[in-house]
Amino acid sequence: MSDQHEVTDLAPTPGERFRNAFNSRDVKITMVFGVIITAFFVLLGLWFYPKFMPEIMSENMKRGKDVIVYFTVISAPIAGLVIAVALYTLLNRHHGENPPEEGASFRTHTPIVFAWTVVSAIFCIVAIVWGLTEMNVNSEDATANAKSALVVEVTGSQWVWTFNYPELGVQSEQLNLPLDRAVEFRVHSVDVNHSFWPVQLGVKVDANDRVTTLAHTTPNVLGTIDIKCAELCGLYHAYMETQGKVMKEADFNNWVTAQGGHVA
Amino acid sequence: MTTLDHAKVSESRPNPPKSLITKLNMGTGMIVGIVFAEVTYFWGKSMWDRQEAVMENRILTLSMFAWCIGFLIGIGAFIGPFRWLIGKDLTDEEQLFLAGKGQGVSRYFRYCTDHKVVGIQYLVGVMVMLGAGGTMAMMIRTNLITPGSKWVNAEIYNSLVGLHGITMIVAMIIVSTGPFGNFILPIMIGARDMAFPRLNALSWWLLFTAIPVLCSAWFFGGIPTGWTAYAPLSVQAGAGMNAFIVTIIIFAISSAIAGANITTTVVAMRAKGMKWNRVPIFVIGATMSVALAIPAFPSFMASQMMAGFDRTIGTHFYDAEFGGSGWLYAHLFWIMGHPEVYVILIPGVAILMEIAPVFARSPLFSYTTAVVGFAGIVGLSVLVWAHHMYISGWMPSLNGPFMVTTEMISIPTGLLFLVLLGTIWRGRPWMKLPMLGVYALIWNFLIGGITGIYLSDVPADDYLHGSMFVTAHFHYTLMGAALTGAIAGLAYWFPKMTGRMLDERSGYISFWTVQIGFQVLFLGMFAAGSQGQPRRVADYEQAFATSDLISTIGAYLVGIGMIVLLYSVVHSWRKGKIAPMNPWGAKTLEWTVPYPIYLENFHEAPVVTSDPYGYGRSEK
Repeated sequence: MSDQHEVTDLAPTPGERFRNAFNSRDVKITMVFGVIITAFFVLLGLWFYPKFMPEIMSENMKRGKDVIVYFTVISAPIAGLVIAVALYTLLNRHHGENPPEEGASFRTHTPIVFAWTVVSAIFCIVAIVWGLTEMNVNSEDATANAKSALVVEVTGSQWVWTFNYPELGVQSEQLNLPLDRAVEFRVHSVDVNHSFWPVQLGVKVDANDRVTTLAHTTPNVLGTIDIKCAELCGLYHAYMETQGKVMKEADFNNWVTAQGGHVA
Repeated sequence: MTTLDHAKVSESRPNPPKSLITKLNMGTGMIVGIVFAEVTYFWGKSMWDRQEAVMENRILTLSMFAWCIGFLIGIGAFIGPFRWLIGKDLTDEEQLFLAGKGQGVSRYFRYCTDHKVVGIQYLVGVMVMLGAGGTMAMMIRTNLITPGSKWVNAEIYNSLVGLHGITMIVAMIIVSTGPFGNFILPIMIGARDMAFPRLNALSWWLLFTAIPVLCSAWFFGGIPTGWTAYAPLSVQAGAGMNAFIVTIIIFAISSAIAGANITTTVVAMRAKGMKWNRVPIFVIGATMSVALAIPAFPSFMASQMMAGFDRTIGTHFYDAEFGGSGWLYAHLFWIMGHPEVYVILIPGVAILMEIAPVFARSPLFSYTTAVVGFAGIVGLSVLVWAHHMYISGWMPSLNGPFMVTTEMISIPTGLLFLVLLGTIWRGRPWMKLPMLGVYALIWNFLIGGITGIYLSDVPADDYLHGSMFVTAHFHYTLMGAALTGAIAGLAYWFPKMTGRMLDERSGYISFWTVQIGFQVLFLGMFAAGSQGQPRRVADYEQAFATSDLISTIGAYLVGIGMIVLLYSVVHSWRKGKIAPMNPWGAKTLEWTVPYPIYLENFHEAPVVTSDPYGYGRSEK
């Protein structure tokens, strides 16, 4: 008996306090909630975006989509923790006309504030480094393919897109691209701002009057591309869309010839 | 000291002074304003040929400014400054009259300097604006119910999008700091009024003059540019654009005045003993918000003045053909635009931080962390504007740095979550209407925050920028977080502002309908954006039909819930249960004054000896 008394009198070490904290009922229940909600968000991230995002037809699109899916998965434990704590407090909720009895009275808890800040900073750094790396890969791809890229001049005007292939001598309102060949879009507008968005290619760049802006990608899947305007550009903004095709090199060359162009 | 004594004190009606001031009110303001506008209009028509667009814009813009100035003259806003010019000032009787002493309802329609009157004016004004903006939102969603619905044509649709956007943005900027920042904040810090009562009245009536101007846009061809009003589209747009420009300039002046007033009040007029670490967190949040607005909004004003010059006197600030640049507009706009979202958000979060300790009966967890969180957000928010321009083509090499600053905001934002969670942890939350807002904020702001991280990431933004995903994201933060905070604040302070309790049953029905509808609405919109539906489109393809239908159903639920809330507010205001002095058992100073609140708030100046968060079982 006296032994026990002595033991409890000793101040617990930080390690013991840490372990004890995890033994309390409220922390345990919160952790169970946290795991369930984390799993929910992980599954949501893995299901939602692949289900709703369109077909991936370039590495840019794949990288963008990966960022979205992985960020959801990474942030799931944070969401899990936050919502678990909120849900747990709801278990003790109080109804009625009078205030409940007084709650816990801690004013602050420095280790928790410190840990929270450090952990959120780590998540933040992960997100930053990840994003910068992917962005860098995108621009390295663009630089590496700069010489061999097929140049397409994209002109936005209210409310049509036109595509000019200066090297091939073709002008068209349909965007056709050869498979697996890098492409450089040189985008400009002749009136207000537009935003050139070949949806399945995962790139986008504004079209400005008298300025040429660039977007680089390499289509790597055969199929149809939806081309939209992503910047409100006046009355028929919603209808400023067309379709493009990624086709085999031979088909592309045939199309160029049929349009009166010359194959390089 | 009983409630009855107070009622007698504030009802004692001094004899109105014999002064022009007693004759002036909203009605005379409108008459003088309309006369000024008409005179300017016909003078302009006689001077310039209306056939040219530049001339028409010039005449309309001048007429709108004339309306604003005329209204302010007509309501008596300049009587005080005019007296100063001739070396005099208002007499004491006139000042008492201006403060609305014993004037009943009529003081709400006058140039009244009492901060409580201004607070109620803001509250009603905000509700009208939210109602108008919400109605437009319903019309937008109705048009998008099926592909090719053509319920309204593209021209009207674009106008609806622009007007909905700017109405809501203006309403959301003032939704917390207007009503509560004016009515509650001075009492909370133990002040007898704001630092500059006349400027306080001026800030409200300036804003008021902008409302009819904004509405007039509808009759001049609308605002077909979205609320961002990007140039050169805005230069090309019809006469309605002038109304947008005038509204923004007036609003920027109004918010600068209100911001200077609130910051000065908080810095200089706190009760004895209210050191900085004893200031209620809502006061800190509201002050940081308006202090952030002070440097941000002049940029908006400058952007619109230059747009106005382009439209009315033929300059070419934004016209590339003559050496201008649309990017210049985008920069000026977003230098205001990104701090502005935090101007909206911070007071909403701060209100809920004020509410959480009261209803969880626990101290605010780590006051310092909350302040650091707000300060971190304010500091970083001025360094992130170009994340709205990742894909504009303007200097892609700076996308990296802007991505870093933007994602860093997640750290101070995370601290705000910690404060809220730490406060409710191991408490017994009292599930009254204001407390429900805390939980709604935690969920909504979490979704808004996480989706914000994707958008801050350049490779993901390459895909998502300009899509419905962005629309859903910022509605989660602005509506799901900031508006939820404001509505919770209304439920919380309603007893103090009206003397009556907000009806609980209709309040709960409204809360759940709005929140469930909100999730349905924006889940559908996240899906549509992920699928690749651009924002601000009047029509769309079959592929997005299901997502948009779900969105519209959710929007109607939100609409129904908001109508119930409106009913709840109006009904409770007229016939609600009489509120006790401190229905929530809160410890901030505003709960120590009975309703109706004495003209100068306190009979005896309060002395503060601790912070207002001494809740909890064994306070050490």
